[in-house]
Amino acid sequence: MIARRLLTAASAIALAVALTGCYEDPDVTVYEPGVYKGKDDPLLAKLEDPEFRAQLDQRFDGQRDR
Amino acid sequence: MARMKFLCDADRCIECNGCVTACKNANDVPWGVNRRRVVTLNDGLPGEKSISVACMHCTDAPCAAVCPTDCFYTTTDGIVLHDKDLCIGCGYCFYACPFGAPQFPTTEAFGVRGKMDKCTFCAGGPDEPGTASEYEKYGANRIAEGKLPACAEMCATKALLAGDGDLVADIYRQRTMTRDTRPQTWGWAKAYGAGA
Repeated sequence: MIARRLLTAASAIALAVALTGCYEDPDVTVYEPGVYKGKDDPLLAKLEDPEFRAQLDQRFDGQRDR
Repeated sequence: MARMKFLCDADRCIECNGCVTACKNANDVPWGVNRRRVVTLNDGLPGEKSISVACMHCTDAPCAAVCPTDCFYTTTDGIVLHDKDLCIGCGYCFYACPFGAPQFPTTEAFGVRGKMDKCTFCAGGPDEPGTASEYEKYGANRIAEGKLPACAEMCATKALLAGDGDLVADIYRQRTMTRDTRPQTWGWAKAYGAGA
């Protein structure tokens, strides 16, 4: 009788330990973009110029159908 | 600030590959690298559609998220560019990109890959605009010259639009409203005015 109880307890412990490995973490690992480590682009400063900006916008607007 | 995007009107694209040729010509793209390509669905069947695909300059660019050397940056206009001096040609960006935009020129024997090359929206890279080094690494910087990307500029049917997302959407909306309708030479607008 005692041996049977011991066997049942051991089986329960073994089952619990075995099922622990079935756990799956539902959280998705999200990678954020890193900080740019390269050189500065001189174009960025040029794009801030309102006159150049207007010229560029006018050119892009020329794609409309005539 | 603008948010630069490409839009290809599938009802207008005639699969002429003019955009591909213009890109290759303007940027001196090496053999085997396609910064832009024309994809045709149901090729040869009635109702086939073609679209021109290149880097879509994603707002949340997955290539930038996976780059181990952090060589990607986004301009204030939303153009995704990269620094070739930092690129190690690992190919992570190619895996991450849903459009297959990153390209790798074969520089040596045994298929050794070079540094990543992709559409720059004709905005060059982080070198002085108009210099030989910039042209050699990234191609033409037409944006710095106040011009459209070469592909959109050369599109014969104006199927390929480039520019701020709002502008491109507005042009496309106007097209779709008048598409497949009768010529308005003697239409409602002529008789009663455009605002009627």
